[in-house]
Amino acid sequence: MSGLMISAASTKIPIGAWPKAVTSVLLVLFLNACGVNQVVVEGKFPTPLMTALPLTIGVWYPDEFRGHEFTGMAKNPRESSWIVKTGEAQIQMWDVLLGGMFQRFEQMRAAPQPDVLNQAVDAVLIPHVAELQYAIPTQTHVKVYEIWMRYRFELVTVEGEPIAEWTMTAYGKTPSAFLQSDTKAVNLAAVMALRDAGANFVTGFTRVPELNNWLNGKQRRAQGVRP
Amino acid sequence: MTTHQANICFLRVILALGLITLLTACVTATVEEMVFNEPTEGIGEASVVILGRRHASDYDTEPEFVQCVADHIASRDEAIKVIGELEFINALYPWFEPRTAPLHPRDIERLLKQQPVAQKMLEFKIEYMIWIDGSTERTSSAGSMACGIGPGGAGCFGFGTWGDEANYEATIWDFTDRAEVGRISANASGQSYMPAIIVPIPIIAPVHGTACDGIGDQLLEFLSSNY
Repeated sequence: MSGLMISAASTKIPIGAWPKAVTSVLLVLFLNACGVNQVVVEGKFPTPLMTALPLTIGVWYPDEFRGHEFTGMAKNPRESSWIVKTGEAQIQMWDVLLGGMFQRFEQMRAAPQPDVLNQAVDAVLIPHVAELQYAIPTQTHVKVYEIWMRYRFELVTVEGEPIAEWTMTAYGKTPSAFLQSDTKAVNLAAVMALRDAGANFVTGFTRVPELNNWLNGKQRRAQGVRP
Repeated sequence: MTTHQANICFLRVILALGLITLLTACVTATVEEMVFNEPTEGIGEASVVILGRRHASDYDTEPEFVQCVADHIASRDEAIKVIGELEFINALYPWFEPRTAPLHPRDIERLLKQQPVAQKMLEFKIEYMIWIDGSTERTSSAGSMACGIGPGGAGCFGFGTWGDEANYEATIWDFTDRAEVGRISANASGQSYMPAIIVPIPIIAPVHGTACDGIGDQLLEFLSSNY
């Protein structure tokens, strides 16, 4: 199977203008080879449709999470490098998700640790993006753009004592479409990955054994049952 | 050039453009249907939702195709209320994401155990849930084209051809009986051509549209009392 090829022939250029034209062409080639696609992920995230868990949860976003971005360097001159900034969209998604998932939700004033004035909550969730990978059709020859993330969560007390720690993956993909730019498709794949992260978090939260024990303990205490 | 000559010239250009847009290549399509329990009086006040399956690793059912089928049904029978895919999955987030979407009709029962989900479904008055799975793939491409620009004008010369194949399957779930009541599959393939003698003339095979019309017509026969 041979590829469909469209090539452009050169324009007639006066002899004196050749050095400038050659320089321009080389500059364009150089810029193409070193091109960087930058995507600031933007999307709208729905509130989860569920009965809120009877907890007051605080969230503390570390600085690296707030400003999370990943870079992918081009492996050859035909590829472009990528900078994908997910920080703002992460905060937006997790705020909406946690707000709908728990009866009360607070953004903590400071990192949870002893002797720090903070809001009174049942526990504080600290999310981290541990790993992120992406794939675009020019690399994989498959007609989809993909983003895969691995999160690490810490659930701690207001004083910073650990309650649970677990990891979770999220995956988003979007098909290539006619006249759709790579940047738009990568943005869509990132939004899908964030939505998937929300779905995985909602459905998996009570299945984490440490969390399940903690939730059962809280429930027993609330009912006045001694362990 | 007089005004009369200019008008004739303009008309020729319009005619040529019109002729070009009328040129379409042939498409071979097969539509197969297997349905049970067709509603004899249509679906009345109830509504239908059409959703795309997106859990395969190497393709995604295109949202545009799902929208095309929905538009096809809604435009030919205004009595049928078709809920938009994005509106539905946002309203029921996170229960219809690729990770969490029900794969069997009996999974709906599990979803409806959650009071907010059951309430939302009641508000939507869903009678049928239709899942579309498939994609349109480029099967082959060949040819080459060269374009040039000079002081005397610009033009292209060459020939390109490519083949597309669409394979889709629609599965109909009866929401009230929690049962699968039909499957419709549409396969379409066609070869597109683009000869270029000064101006490229695209002769496109409407593979995507033919598959959409095929599935849309069969769904109309199932859902509508007028067909």
